[in-house]
Amino acid sequence: MSALGHYLEEEGLATVAISLIRPQTEKTRPPRALWVPFELGRPFGPPSDPAFQKRVILAALRLVEREDGPVIIEDFPDDDPRARPDPGWRLPFDHAAVANGSAETVAGELETEIELLRGRHDRWVTERGRSTIGLSGLSITDCGRLVAGQVRGAALTSPRDGFSPPLMLRFAVDDLKAYYLEAGAEGIAKPSSRQLGDWFWNATAAGAALHALRAVCLTSSDNRLKLIAGNFIVPAARVLAPG
Amino acid sequence: MTRLIDLPPAQAQRLAELECPDFATRPWVTGPALPQRRVAIVSSAGLVVRGEDPFRGRDADYRAIPADTQPRDLLLSHISINFDRTGFQEDWNVVFPLDRLNELVADGVIGEVAQTHYSFMGATDPVQMEPHAKGLAGRLKDDRVDTVILPPV
Repeated sequence: MSALGHYLEEEGLATVAISLIRPQTEKTRPPRALWVPFELGRPFGPPSDPAFQKRVILAALRLVEREDGPVIIEDFPDDDPRARPDPGWRLPFDHAAVANGSAETVAGELETEIELLRGRHDRWVTERGRSTIGLSGLSITDCGRLVAGQVRGAALTSPRDGFSPPLMLRFAVDDLKAYYLEAGAEGIAKPSSRQLGDWFWNATAAGAALHALRAVCLTSSDNRLKLIAGNFIVPAARVLAPG
Repeated sequence: MTRLIDLPPAQAQRLAELECPDFATRPWVTGPALPQRRVAIVSSAGLVVRGEDPFRGRDADYRAIPADTQPRDLLLSHISINFDRTGFQEDWNVVFPLDRLNELVADGVIGEVAQTHYSFMGATDPVQMEPHAKGLAGRLKDDRVDTVILPPV
């Protein structure tokens, strides 16, 4: 973030920002920035490509040796090779038809899918040595139950002290997405984020459940829940057109 | 592919037109060559060590990430859902390139890596972050850091 560059540099630290959105960096004018032509969420480019990542970080760090600032905004020349789809990747399953089912069908299928993916997710954790699930502090089964319960119209409660029910729901949704996307990427194929996102949102009961959850929560009288529903469940690019 | 033409038009317009701070000053700090530098990561990805308090919204403060944090213990609690997380799920270096920095030290390209790294939550109004950032500068200098790389998400 370019503003942090100003604040830290004013305190005597040399900084270099990675820029993902060049117009914002041009407005903020930090001491130094390297714009990278990568997807939002990937400031250092492709995963599992140390050589490429090292070129990005070195291109950024070299800017602190320059003497022709302020302001320096350079462009990294190469695209992320992992942005391309992998034709060898196969959908773990296609449950697109579930999206047309009742709330009970969608919620039930979500809980079934979670179990269906458990082997794939276990293998992911073994392969990668990690999972990014954990914001909610719940098991993935309980994340699914929380979401499914809301889709069925249950009252929303938080199982954790210090976490409001809307916050708990947001974190459970984040964990659920991580579970599916990690399970979906398991194996030797290297799917793009677009491939994984298309699968999750168009061909899983979980995607259908989150669309349904958003719709249910938008009718809530709890303004915090409405805020979560409107902004933090379904990405803007995946919100379905009315009707 | 964060060329704005690759994004949905409404998202691209919102990002391009986002109000940004207008700074009157142009700070500029010089220093030695990279092999003499001590480098820290200050991310704005809403990163948090597992078990610690995640970012709950547009919090203006920051979280500390000790250099011995393991990849399995770093979570991403950024409030936005409009960016890819699959890269980070596969490889934390996509967002938090600590392994790459350690390799650059081993290669003699940079001098040292900080003892502690940090993360803000980038959707927060930068003006609210300023006092926290100024305080963080003191902590970084106490750690003998002279160079900071600032990745967004």
